[in-house]
Amino acid sequence: MPRYQLDLTLRRAEGALGRVIGTAERRGFRPLSVDGETREDGDRWYLRLSVEGERSAEFLTAQLEKLYDCLAVEAMPCP
Amino acid sequence: MNAAQWLVRALEAEGVDTLFGYPGGAIMPFYDALYGSALKHILVRHEQGAAFAANGYARASGKVGVCVATSGPGATNLVTGIADAMFDSVPMVAITGQVPTHLMGTDAFQEVDVFGMTLPVVKHSFLVRSVDELPQAVGEAFRLARSGRPGPVLIDLPKNVQTVDATHLPAHAPAATDAVPQPQTHTLRAALELLSKARRPLAYAGGGIALADAVAEFRTFVEATEIPAVLTLRGIGALPATHPLNLGMLGMHGTQAANLAVQECDALVVIGARFDDRATGKLSEFAPHAKVIHLDLDAAEIGKLRAAEVGVRGDLRSSLDLLATVRPDCAHWREHCLDNKRRLGFRYDAPGPGVYAPALLKRLSQRVPAAIVSCDVGQHQMWVAQHWQFNDPRKHLTSGSLGAMGFGLPAAMGAQLAMPDAQVICVSGDGSFMMNVQELATLVRYRLPVKIVLLDNQRLGMVRQWQELFFAGRYSETDLSDNPDFAALARAFGVEAMFVDCAADVNDALDRLLASDGPALLHVAIDAMANVWPLVPPNRNNAQMLLDPQTLEMEDADAALPT
Ligand SMILES: Cc1ncc(C[n+]2csc(CCOP(=O)(O)OP(=O)(O)O)c2C)c(N)n1
Ligand SMILES: [Mg+2]
Repeated sequence: MPRYQLDLTLRRAEGALGRVIGTAERRGFRPLSVDGETREDGDRWYLRLSVEGERSAEFLTAQLEKLYDCLAVEAMPCP
Repeated sequence: MNAAQWLVRALEAEGVDTLFGYPGGAIMPFYDALYGSALKHILVRHEQGAAFAANGYARASGKVGVCVATSGPGATNLVTGIADAMFDSVPMVAITGQVPTHLMGTDAFQEVDVFGMTLPVVKHSFLVRSVDELPQAVGEAFRLARSGRPGPVLIDLPKNVQTVDATHLPAHAPAATDAVPQPQTHTLRAALELLSKARRPLAYAGGGIALADAVAEFRTFVEATEIPAVLTLRGIGALPATHPLNLGMLGMHGTQAANLAVQECDALVVIGARFDDRATGKLSEFAPHAKVIHLDLDAAEIGKLRAAEVGVRGDLRSSLDLLATVRPDCAHWREHCLDNKRRLGFRYDAPGPGVYAPALLKRLSQRVPAAIVSCDVGQHQMWVAQHWQFNDPRKHLTSGSLGAMGFGLPAAMGAQLAMPDAQVICVSGDGSFMMNVQELATLVRYRLPVKIVLLDNQRLGMVRQWQELFFAGRYSETDLSDNPDFAALARAFGVEAMFVDCAADVNDALDRLLASDGPALLHVAIDAMANVWPLVPPNRNNAQMLLDPQTLEMEDADAALPT
């Protein structure tokens, strides 16, 4: 099954993480790893999420981009 | 001034005049602030009624609908109406009380994480943990609800936040609605090129047209290019029902002319539609010869289910204006489509003395052509879609994507409050009606002159039809023959009621219904075994329609379709 790595910049808002991971799962992608942090001055989350799923990466990024808390998302095939 | 009072003023500043709700412990400070305010609060009898009423208000007016409930059960009761707004792109703001912040996370009385619960069914949501977050939350909630592709936004507001001092907050200033992005020129040029070469072009028009206020541009496009059009359930009205190039609704209960055209076309111009499975039938066999030009404001819809040869993201009005300059060479094709439409249209000459629902609906729509019609879910909903002569999509209120029974009556209430001078009709079924029947009390309390046409087949008809066709006639739990006496029930609420059970009396019954000046209900007894035709069975393509056996008998054999 194809695997993708997603690099996301999120608002540091209540629910932001839940929305991103929930969207990935509901849209048919299984999370494989999650790694993220907020920074000192922090009103952002930086999140690296890898997922596997049959659907395309564009399909998922288009849905993630619609989330208000998602400020940027970049997807690439997992190495 | 406390935060609840600030919120009431903010709602006024947002242009809210009416809101729908039901009080309870955690929202009491807000209700206290409402007391004596200029906002018109409509007290429903179930929070689901509030959510659907706000939803109907928004659908009919295009303004943001607002509903309010308390924490816990009040909030959970809103969820179906919020989900409906999400999947039909209806602008709505739902405000819920929450237990005080120090009790949140302790399983307190009437604590439910409605913020978490609604994550998949809202466009966005805010949990306002301090008063200073309130202005941003309210401004963004309204901006998001009405910007771009509209949708519902939830504001969850703990009780203690409602009561803190808010005198330091600035007066609320509504945020501007986002500008609509313009389509890119190169994609438009590619669309023009593709369409100009088509010989069998077809427009497939959805609810996005009304949402984008692009009805006029769409009509100009169709008339200028003379391309025939098929409409989705939510696209109905984008072209007048009587327009010569309107082939009708496509999909599971679409017209033969529409479904055949889709399967035969060589170019499909998809306008504010999203290849919903009820519209496409078996997706892999949908429009098998067509190159797709997909126009939508929501980039995520383009290519989601069917790859587009050309995807044009952005303002539908500009895209349609430009595409209206194409003159494809398609006279033969057009004639072919229109010939199908002439030959394969609906018939209203059902034999027998009983009431034939399609004929009643068509008759009523001709009597009140300007009416707003809300309907419930089931066979009657499909009959409305097929037979009501709509000429404005904002006048057809139907739970399209969620398909939520119980939508009809509260949505009609909301529409009547949004459009006090409009004739509002609610077409319901005996199953659906009972899901929010308590709202009859609301109709009476506010003297809303909604006219209800209750099509009573004593069955969960749509499910029964599927049992007949696909489950070997095993009628599991779809019999409602012990329904209450609906006319007596309506009268008990103070709603005028009448009854009709034979075709010959339909005109008189409609006269009496329309002549009443308050809320009124016409209880219509129809055949329990009546079905909706045509029907595309599951996992079949749209050309493989099942047709009305009765009509087939009446028609020449050559009207039958290849399967
Ligand atoms: C809330 C909800 N529950 C169940 C369904 C499944 N369902 C779809 S149509 C239908 C029957 C509706 O019966 P009625 O309102 O009498 O309409 P009819 O089909 O008889 O015209 C049911 C149960 C639904 N759409 N919504
Ligand atoms: Mg029924």
